[in-house]
Amino acid sequence: MLKALTAPCGVSGLEKGAAAVAKDLLAPYVDSVDVDRRGNVVGTINGAGPKILLDAHLDQVGFIVTSLSERGFVKFDRCGGTDERVMSALPVIIMGKEPVYGIISSVPPHLQADGDEGKVKEAKDLAIDTGLSDDELKRLVSQGDRVCFVPQFDELLGTEVCSNSFDDRAGIAILLRTVEILKEKGVKPNLTVVFSAQEEVAGNAVGCAAFKADVDMAIAVDVSFAKTPGCKDEETGKIGEGPMIGISPSLDNGIFEDLKRIASENSIPYQIEVMSRSTGTHADDILVTREGVRTGLVSLPLKFMHTPVEIIDTKDVELCAKLIAKYVEEKVK
Amino acid sequence: MIELIKELSLVHGPSGREDRIRELIISKLPADVTYKVDNLGNLIVHKKGAKTPAHKLMMCAHMDEVGLMITYITDEGMLKFNEIGGIDPAVLVGRRVVLESGVKGVIGLKHIHLTEGDERKKLPKMTEMCIDIGAKSKEEAEKYASLGSFATFDSDFVEFGDGFVKCRALDDRVGCAFMLDLINSDLPVDVDFAFDVQEEVGAIGAYAATFAIRPDVCVVVETTTAGDIDGVEGEKRACVLGEGPVVSYMDRGTVYDHELYSDTMLLAKERGIKAQTKTLIAGGNDSRSVKVTGEGVRVIAVSVPTRYLHSPSCVMKKEDITATYALLKAFIENFD
Repeated sequence: MLKALTAPCGVSGLEKGAAAVAKDLLAPYVDSVDVDRRGNVVGTINGAGPKILLDAHLDQVGFIVTSLSERGFVKFDRCGGTDERVMSALPVIIMGKEPVYGIISSVPPHLQADGDEGKVKEAKDLAIDTGLSDDELKRLVSQGDRVCFVPQFDELLGTEVCSNSFDDRAGIAILLRTVEILKEKGVKPNLTVVFSAQEEVAGNAVGCAAFKADVDMAIAVDVSFAKTPGCKDEETGKIGEGPMIGISPSLDNGIFEDLKRIASENSIPYQIEVMSRSTGTHADDILVTREGVRTGLVSLPLKFMHTPVEIIDTKDVELCAKLIAKYVEEKVK
Repeated sequence: MIELIKELSLVHGPSGREDRIRELIISKLPADVTYKVDNLGNLIVHKKGAKTPAHKLMMCAHMDEVGLMITYITDEGMLKFNEIGGIDPAVLVGRRVVLESGVKGVIGLKHIHLTEGDERKKLPKMTEMCIDIGAKSKEEAEKYASLGSFATFDSDFVEFGDGFVKCRALDDRVGCAFMLDLINSDLPVDVDFAFDVQEEVGAIGAYAATFAIRPDVCVVVETTTAGDIDGVEGEKRACVLGEGPVVSYMDRGTVYDHELYSDTMLLAKERGIKAQTKTLIAGGNDSRSVKVTGEGVRVIAVSVPTRYLHSPSCVMKKEDITATYALLKAFIENFD
């Protein structure tokens, strides 16, 4: 499922492909599912208890075509907070009239000025090399086309896996597993599941879905920083050690306490993620919807965010789903 | 030819660890040649032609590729490494690699959101980078990696655009593929072919191979950096994709035999083969070792122009591959 979910290119604003895959995977577990006018996939279960919204975002970081140059080269910029340190000689796919393969150029040693060593090239210094003739390039590629990392899914040691778009397709996998667990247990909540668009560009598509759903409470599911070399302990969680339960000034304290208690009662290992300002996730958008929505945040620890080599632990996916399913189950009762 | 280039390029073999690629090449040698593997690991093949020329001809291409060597394993199970050959750190971060053991790993970097100051504008030094194979401890990592073992780029072969190919290790498996194809065809004169080792760490293997062959003339079959990227014009491009093989008159390692250089350019013109030379002095290859070996060797280099050399995504144009092979064939036909 993770592999199927991470395959489509879904750079912000172009979530259609990812939405189609996610919608099909969600359909068996909900009473109705649709794609709304902002591009969100919205699934509904008409059951008992308070109205709960669960959200994970469909879109991923990438690039966007800014102009066509000559000899098959394409100028581009970042779309979302893509890590620009990874760009040199990176294969990408331009989502033109048809997908166009290309390599982001790198600067050969003889063209690097003294003192350039170790300096990150910006998007404006580079171009995507498509190898196409100018006519063919014009036919296939236009300004505004989205550009994504070439999809690749790899299993690493143990239960760790690597892909180009786990942020936040892994969150979608968590919610798909959540509704699967609920169905297996015969739990029928009053639930809206949103796979939302445009998180990476602060497009706030989720706010529109939350407005329409008019819910009592919500949990946003996103990825967060797992510790990697060079990171501080206090700024990161640990991969493989369970869900990161978020708390911030605007996240709901009751949901935070409930999630911790439910994790403890069910022997689900968890970590606490403290954010002293906004969360930088869809939780920030959902909680200001209508007259305000009590909102919690569950995050999956992820290594190397916003690069083509994001790593997660599938154990954490299962643990996050288990925690959220238990939370929903308790609310139904 | 393209299929052969693909097959050879997908084999992992950095300098000093050419065993896998050498075995594959040996398996493709015809029955009518003699070959030996020398002390350093060079594969030397003697191919009989229709006649023995007045002078002895050698052709060489290197089997090794740039890569990484594991130097330390941290308590957390991360692998520290050093480069084998020259690699721009910019093409390492955010990339997948394959360890000698076959396990995949990635070279990550600090979360961009957590960088401080100008950290996001600077690449980490190679000594600060790690390969993450998903190991949770040193003990777990040690099952799949040991100090001195290698890692190489994980990058597939792709045909794209208007006749372009992208792959790992095209430098210099394309040269190996040309030589294998020549060995498997009927040649007008005897040629000694050296598939040599350790070019990327100082053109080491070529010394021994050249000494063993003792040629009068050597053609180094190579790849060379093309700087014809967007926004670069004139001489700074060094060479250009689509303009045919690069015949060098001078680079950072060698001043080439001028008569051989001129004759080869003339030969290309006579045969209607597109060819070019470099528009600036840069790079270097096995020629630096070949020319000074024994009593000295007259040497030229014929290279396929390549973008993004020493990265996981080397890019070539197919028409240059065809033209380079045609020029090598013409050179042998014309040799005496």
